[in-house]
Amino acid sequence: MAFSLFGGNSSNANSQQQIIQQSKNQPDPSNAGTVNEIKQQIQQDLAVANATELVNQATENCFNLCMKAPYNENLAESNQCVETCLGKYMRSWNAISQAYVQRLQNTPDV
Amino acid sequence: MSSAPVTVNTAEIQKLDEASKRDITNFIEIESAKQKVQMSVHQFTSMCFKNCVKDGSNPELSSAENQCLNSCVNRFLDTNIKIVKGLQNIQ
Repeated sequence: MAFSLFGGNSSNANSQQQIIQQSKNQPDPSNAGTVNEIKQQIQQDLAVANATELVNQATENCFNLCMKAPYNENLAESNQCVETCLGKYMRSWNAISQAYVQRLQNTPDV
Repeated sequence: MSSAPVTVNTAEIQKLDEASKRDITNFIEIESAKQKVQMSVHQFTSMCFKNCVKDGSNPELSSAENQCLNSCVNRFLDTNIKIVKGLQNIQ
C-alpha cells in the first residue's frame, strides 16, 4: 500500500483497520460453519415445537370428537375415527393457514 | 409458545464475531415472526375445528366445513380488531 486515507503508512495499521472494517460489516467467513449450524439448530428446535403443538392439539380435538364418556365404545370403531379425524385435522390446519396468510396479505395491520 | 427444549449452545454464539452475531440475531427475528404466525395457526385450527367439524367419519373436509373454517378465522380476526379499537376508545 502506498498510502492510506488516515495518513498511517505502516502496513500493520492498515491491515488492522481492514480487520476492524471487516468485523463491522461482514461476518467472519471462518465462522460461517458455526453460524449455519446454529441456524439449523434453531430451525430444528422450531420444527420440534411445531410438531409437539400439532400432536397435542390434534390429540385433544380427536379425543373430543371420537371418544365419548363413559368411554366404553367399540375400540376398533373409535380408532378408525381417530385416524380419519387426524386426516381432517391436518386438512383443517392447511385451510386455516391459507385463510390466515391471505388475510395477513390483504390487511397488513392485523 | 410451547416450552420446547432449546438446544442451541449459547456459549458458542458468544465466541462469534459481531457481524456473525448480528446475522444470527436477524435470523432469529425472521424465524420468530414466522413462528408467531405458526402458533396463531395452531390456535385458530384448534378453536375452529371444535366449532366447524362434527363428523369424524370422512377424512376429507366437506365444502361446508371448509367454508366454516375460513369464516371462523376471518370472524375471529374481525373480533380482534374490534376489541383493540374498543379498548383504544376507552383510553
